[in-house]
Amino acid sequence: MFTGISAGIKEKSAEQLLLLALFSFLAFLPLILQGQYALGLLTMMAVYGILLIGLDATVGYLGQVNLAQAALFALGGYGTALCIQAGLPFHLALLAGMAAALLPGVALALPSLRLEGPQFALSTLSFGALTIIVLNQCESVTNGALGISVPRPPVFTIELDARSFYWFCLVILFSVWQASRFLLKSRFGLAIEALRDSPTATDALGIGSLRHKALAFAWGSSLAGLAGGLHLMNFGYLQPSAFGYDLMVILLLGVVFGGRRSQWGAFAGSAVVTLLPNLLSNRVLFSWLVSLGCLLSLAAPLKAAVSRKLPSFSETAPAAGMLLCLALSFLVPNIELWRKGIFALFLFSAVVGLPDGIAGALTGIIRKIFVFAPEPLPAASGGIPVPRTVAAIPLRTRNIGKSFGGVKAVDNISLDIDQGEILGLIGPNGSGKTTVINLISGLYAPDEGSLEIAGNRPRPGSLMASSNAGASRTFQNLQPFSSLTALDALAVCQRKYDRAAAMALLRIAGLEDKARLRCSELSFGDLRFLEIARALATNPSLLLLDEPAAGMSKPDITRLIDFIVSISKTGIAVLLIEHHQDIITWLCDRVAVMNGGKLIALGTPVEIRKNPQVIEAYLGAEDLHPACMNRSGIQPC
Amino acid sequence: MSPEMLAYAQMAVSGGLMGLAYALVAYGFQLTYAAGKAVNFGQGELVMLGAFVGLTLTGTGLPYWASIAGATVAGAGLGLFVERAAVRLALRQHNEGWILLTIITGLFAVSAAENIWGREDKPYPTPWEDASIDLYGISVTWPELAIAGGALGVMLLIELAKRFTLTGIAVQAESADTDAAELCGIRSDAVTSLSWAVSGAAAAFAGTIIAPVTTVGPTMAAALTLKAFSVAVVAGLDSAIGLVLTGLFLGSAENLAGFILGSGWRETPGLVLLIMALAMRPQGIFGKKIIRKV
Repeated sequence: MFTGISAGIKEKSAEQLLLLALFSFLAFLPLILQGQYALGLLTMMAVYGILLIGLDATVGYLGQVNLAQAALFALGGYGTALCIQAGLPFHLALLAGMAAALLPGVALALPSLRLEGPQFALSTLSFGALTIIVLNQCESVTNGALGISVPRPPVFTIELDARSFYWFCLVILFSVWQASRFLLKSRFGLAIEALRDSPTATDALGIGSLRHKALAFAWGSSLAGLAGGLHLMNFGYLQPSAFGYDLMVILLLGVVFGGRRSQWGAFAGSAVVTLLPNLLSNRVLFSWLVSLGCLLSLAAPLKAAVSRKLPSFSETAPAAGMLLCLALSFLVPNIELWRKGIFALFLFSAVVGLPDGIAGALTGIIRKIFVFAPEPLPAASGGIPVPRTVAAIPLRTRNIGKSFGGVKAVDNISLDIDQGEILGLIGPNGSGKTTVINLISGLYAPDEGSLEIAGNRPRPGSLMASSNAGASRTFQNLQPFSSLTALDALAVCQRKYDRAAAMALLRIAGLEDKARLRCSELSFGDLRFLEIARALATNPSLLLLDEPAAGMSKPDITRLIDFIVSISKTGIAVLLIEHHQDIITWLCDRVAVMNGGKLIALGTPVEIRKNPQVIEAYLGAEDLHPACMNRSGIQPC
Repeated sequence: MSPEMLAYAQMAVSGGLMGLAYALVAYGFQLTYAAGKAVNFGQGELVMLGAFVGLTLTGTGLPYWASIAGATVAGAGLGLFVERAAVRLALRQHNEGWILLTIITGLFAVSAAENIWGREDKPYPTPWEDASIDLYGISVTWPELAIAGGALGVMLLIELAKRFTLTGIAVQAESADTDAAELCGIRSDAVTSLSWAVSGAAAAFAGTIIAPVTTVGPTMAAALTLKAFSVAVVAGLDSAIGLVLTGLFLGSAENLAGFILGSGWRETPGLVLLIMALAMRPQGIFGKKIIRKV
């Protein structure tokens, strides 16, 4: 079995070396390639690189299809152009261009980022269309559809020729590349990954999804503005119609074709977008390219055929697309006329066949061939964080209620939990237990009643506010941050980013040896423990556990009981929903019983077991002999 | 009425009638959104292809009605194709790839139409008389009435089918809860395909009734799609009545904006309305509020 060549260095270092090699090559290119046209194309590639790295922030990292980037690009260009016309020096004009894209971008992002999927795409699409209309119509400022032309200003009194301007753009691309990489690998980047997997969990753990989304969008917008300014200086001319839907589609597809969530991918996309029109004009080169594409795309269905399986859609569709392309290239007299169609076919094959784009596919191959040295793990230090506020009572609810339509899911519940107390919340299915946790954690706003967490009154219906007040929760249906490693999933939830403390929590949860595994690779039981550790990482005063033992094995349940005991010893109050009666009996200081949204009993486990109302709620029986109940709870005779 | 008021009313009425066409295209989004939360970003291209197919069929000497029927059937086929080629895989993988893939199929459709039928706009012949009808001083043309009648008729037909046929009820079940519907023996793939076919048919039908007013060309539906998107988002993706009302309102508003502010501003009311709706009521004016569940 092929095990791979040991590279002897970390992946990060290897990437940096490769990056330096790429930029040295790019910087060297104009010395070989002569001619204004080639230089113009190279500059355009660098500018589009910046633009696509910005677009990748939303399309790749946020996972939202953003159709406004072309318009923001235009706004950046116009902002810079107007400032140059007004006589501003070059660097201020570029900054103004960035602001010209950033401000409308944020104004668009704040309302529309509350939406998901198609609605977000539609709102950005409308923003794009609206921008083009405004640029066309405000003739007194933008000169309307005729366009605006501005000579390239000197850079700090130095007049740049085309070649130096290319190098200048390359330097900016390099800085943007490094900044993006740094930003998206930092805690901010982890938060973005986390919210893509579960926005509810990111809010409930106090990370804040809207804030991070808006910042990522703002970063992408300002890069669009920067690219717009450089684009203007490259061409010296802007026209609204050049920034319409067609450009937007091309940019979007460039990012996807190159590979999402990767600066390499964005750059590869910009190279394809810039060079493809020129490739199409050269018939011989084009035929070669299509034939190569055909061969590559036929590999997958042939492999399936050899192993006598019916090839799947994702294996056959790219081949079909490329074959159609091949047919076009032989049958059609003038392929220039089919430019859009051929572009579409290429992209179709790439999107279906290479979901991670060119960069993703190449990275996969490199990772198969080379084994990189792993990043060192931090040494664990610390324990379960002690609650921040010591004086106040962790949870006090007074008469809270919540209805869904005609159903009173929670009716007039008043509960207090003391520091270090474990309160069990039990009741038949549908009795409103999870809704109580949803009310306390701020997923829903209570219709009536008041709520106090560690002495604070959080804004009702805000997950973030409850989390900031000191409540933290787990989910009955797991909400893992699938694309993060176990360690990162804890670190991103911390109020103070401290990887050593996160490592310590991971050790307490018994997951120390799984720190580098992605959450998607962890077992169900491990994820349950990780969710509790994640909730603890936010340094809560109150921990809300929603059926933590559901689906756990016997040994894991023992581990869980020890874990919860050690949590309560630090003074954290625990509200525990659980169906395993033995866990309730073992752990809980008091037990609250709900039925039909109402609190029907509250007392020690022993008292609860003897309560006739509780017995009736569970068994529906009217007269039950005490002998029917054994040590571990209530069981039918 | 004063002549000025009459001019405004005339603009509002003819805009409103055109607005029903937007509502019909938006209804196509609603149909596919119900079955799998996806919409076809190339819906406008289906409208365009429908119009071209209708035009070609009329060219072969088929009567007007037969050409409309033929285009509608072709639209259903194209809808099925888009679902199979661009949407199904991405939806199974729970990613947003379908947005890109439907844009891509639309791009290919435009390119193909340019090369098959040519880039220039063509008139679409109809059997209607040229004369317009006068209603209290407001004139309405026959093609405009055909748009209104056709759009309302098709939407009514589909809504009735959704409520009173077993298949329609299965579609509703699927849109309420896919897994539960499958457990009850509803083939969810088939239901999704059916929704896309009906959506494609509605788009192609829309193409044949709009074409007499707008003429036929590869980019005839670009602006139309954008407005249909606005209507769909502003109204929300749940209610057909909401689409009709929003379509009427938007159609009149943009005609009036074009009349008062100048033709370049025609598109703005839709876009402004859309951004306002998103900011204030993201699920749409007639949309159901989404309750988050964990």
